[in-house]
Amino acid sequence: MNSLLLLNGSPRGERSSSMKMLQRVAEGWVRGGGAQPEVLHLVRHAQFERAVEAFAGAGVVLLGTPLYTDAMPALVKAYIEALAPRVEAARAGGVNPTLAFLVQGGFPEAAHSRPLERYLEKLVTRLGSHYAGTIVRGNGEALQAMPEQANRKLWARLQVLGEQLARDGRFGAAELKAVAGIERFSRFGALIASLACKIPAIQFYWNGMMKRNGAWAQRFAAPYGPPFEE
Amino acid sequence: MRMTILNGEPDAASPFQAYLEALSNQLVGLGHAVTKLDLAALDLKGCTGCFNCWVKTPGECSKHDDSATVCRAAMDADLLLLASPMTMGFTTALLKRAADQMVPLIHPYFVVEGGEIHHRARYAHYPLFALLLGAGPDSDAEDVEITRAMWARMARNMKSRLAWSAIADRAAAEVADELALVA
Repeated sequence: MNSLLLLNGSPRGERSSSMKMLQRVAEGWVRGGGAQPEVLHLVRHAQFERAVEAFAGAGVVLLGTPLYTDAMPALVKAYIEALAPRVEAARAGGVNPTLAFLVQGGFPEAAHSRPLERYLEKLVTRLGSHYAGTIVRGNGEALQAMPEQANRKLWARLQVLGEQLARDGRFGAAELKAVAGIERFSRFGALIASLACKIPAIQFYWNGMMKRNGAWAQRFAAPYGPPFEE
Repeated sequence: MRMTILNGEPDAASPFQAYLEALSNQLVGLGHAVTKLDLAALDLKGCTGCFNCWVKTPGECSKHDDSATVCRAAMDADLLLLASPMTMGFTTALLKRAADQMVPLIHPYFVVEGGEIHHRARYAHYPLFALLLGAGPDSDAEDVEITRAMWARMARNMKSRLAWSAIADRAAAEVADELALVA
């Protein structure tokens, strides 16, 4: 039975959108015949250290990360830097685990995450590993606001991807495409999205938190320079 | 021109440090106002995705660290030079930690720009971005291209553009002359 090391690279740790998604992939992995995965949250120091130590011995490593300022968060980059000795090991004939990734961004379009996906694919080459694919998904922040039931389709698709990883050693292309959702807006789609952004209700997620925190009046604060005006 | 250099080299003894120092001196010699932040010397706790900088203390990180110094220096500049050696095919975790904590500079509201969803601007003006990479023997042209692509996207989300990028493999004086023409 193949082993899975499941690494949550979100600085939010257990409560993150990345972890919500990784959990579903892990469920599919077990359903597909894989052993119960070891789950580690990189934001916890001891678990970060364990993740570095356990890397070489894993059959498959699934690293999940949110998109922070259009790339991996510093926490995930620090983990990747800690794997540098594994590049040397691979050059010396050592074997590194199969690598799979999950990248979730806050914007709806998958296109924002593609440069990071490209980086991760190159990382696999650098480590001399087998590449199992990258799950890319936008609208990740919405998972924090929506009830679990509202995401049933997404959870089911992530479970299928987990099954594929356990059974075939890689994610299926059709399922990756389905999970990614909108790649880019069409011209018409961008126009609709642009109009939707002008509706105050569309910003309810942020407005609600600002109001609860008593920060509403300061929402356009610009402490480091002249503020933007519409 | 006002220029801020974010130095993402964590190793105090690295030749890249000396290169940046020489570059900074050259730029000052050309009459530019240069602020060089050695990120390794700053207390940057890292972004934890709490969004307090958007919904609790708008425009400012709620952590008590030096991220405000980074944000202020960035916004005071005409040109923001991101400088870092390449490690494992990308800029350092140290530089990324600073960049992650620049999120307060934009506003959470969504807008559509160039056909994509982005965040609304918080400021009237943003610095141009530039990228200087110390490429070691472990990096190739593809790594540099991927790194540029990721930082170009970040610049776009920061209401700016990646106006210049280069490998630090030429004389600092030559790079300084080039940078002076960017902004």
